[in-house]
Amino acid sequence: MDTHPTAKPQIPDELIENLIRSLEHTHDEECTCEDVYAVVDEFAEAEFRGEDAARLMPLIKQHMELCHNCCEEYEALLDVLEKSQSA
Amino acid sequence: MTTAIGYNPVAMDARTNETWLDELRSPGPVRDMALDDLHSIVRKGLPYALSRWLSPDDPLFTPLVDEVTQETLLRVLDQLDTFEGRSMFTTWVHKIAIRIALTELRRKRWQDSSLDEMVDNEENPAPERLMADSQASPETSAERTDIMTRIRRILDEELTEKQRQALIFLGVQDLPMEEAARRMKTNRNALYKLLHDARLRLKHRLAAENLNAQEVLSAFETR
Repeated sequence: MDTHPTAKPQIPDELIENLIRSLEHTHDEECTCEDVYAVVDEFAEAEFRGEDAARLMPLIKQHMELCHNCCEEYEALLDVLEKSQSA
Repeated sequence: MTTAIGYNPVAMDARTNETWLDELRSPGPVRDMALDDLHSIVRKGLPYALSRWLSPDDPLFTPLVDEVTQETLLRVLDQLDTFEGRSMFTTWVHKIAIRIALTELRRKRWQDSSLDEMVDNEENPAPERLMADSQASPETSAERTDIMTRIRRILDEELTEKQRQALIFLGVQDLPMEEAARRMKTNRNALYKLLHDARLRLKHRLAAENLNAQEVLSAFETR
């Protein structure tokens, strides 16, 4: 087992694997959660209208590939738009 | 600005964006009526928003919807001047309600799962993860160990204490972003930036060491 003289908390293998995996979606410039929150209503409406929201706002899409919370909030908003329409 | 996008998510809402803003800014019964309608719209939208996480039969459902609806209306009134009209007003309101609802739901879920985990761990201590797989060839095991050692060294050298702590909170302890941010005396946005910096440093360092993320991952996949 590795020993760490500085007693840093050990990062498990699975987390390292996820971290490495996330590098494929890592870019020098990324939107923040606030940036996404500011436009997620516009993004969801575009998607709801059948437009390619990911193409129109690629940085927003890119953030949501990495940020589970923002992605969940977007999907919930899309659910509201879609299910309200069909209700 | 009126956004006419050709649909009306809630039949009772025939107001334009300007009408909503005007009525919510008007004192007296006009505002009260607009607030009543908005209350109904939020309450109607929340079951759809929560449908992936919470059944209306769940005992948590009604108190959560009540709490979120009240908090949403307060926040909408407080943030009315920030509405830029880039979506329908009601979509903007749903967005606010969803942020409040999911933040609260994640907090509750995490508290519950932490309690469950405490009980589980007491009853069944988790086995230590084995680095070596008995079925892997000696060469594969050696390569994997070598890569893991290099990656751990890179992480030790590149990650700040804060970045490491954030990773542990989110990736090991499964804290929701908001809870991790609270413990680190920051906010969700700054936490995302902190992790973005960590990923970026790691990406650049791997490149500098001629390590390709795909090659690293394939070493993991041979487990």
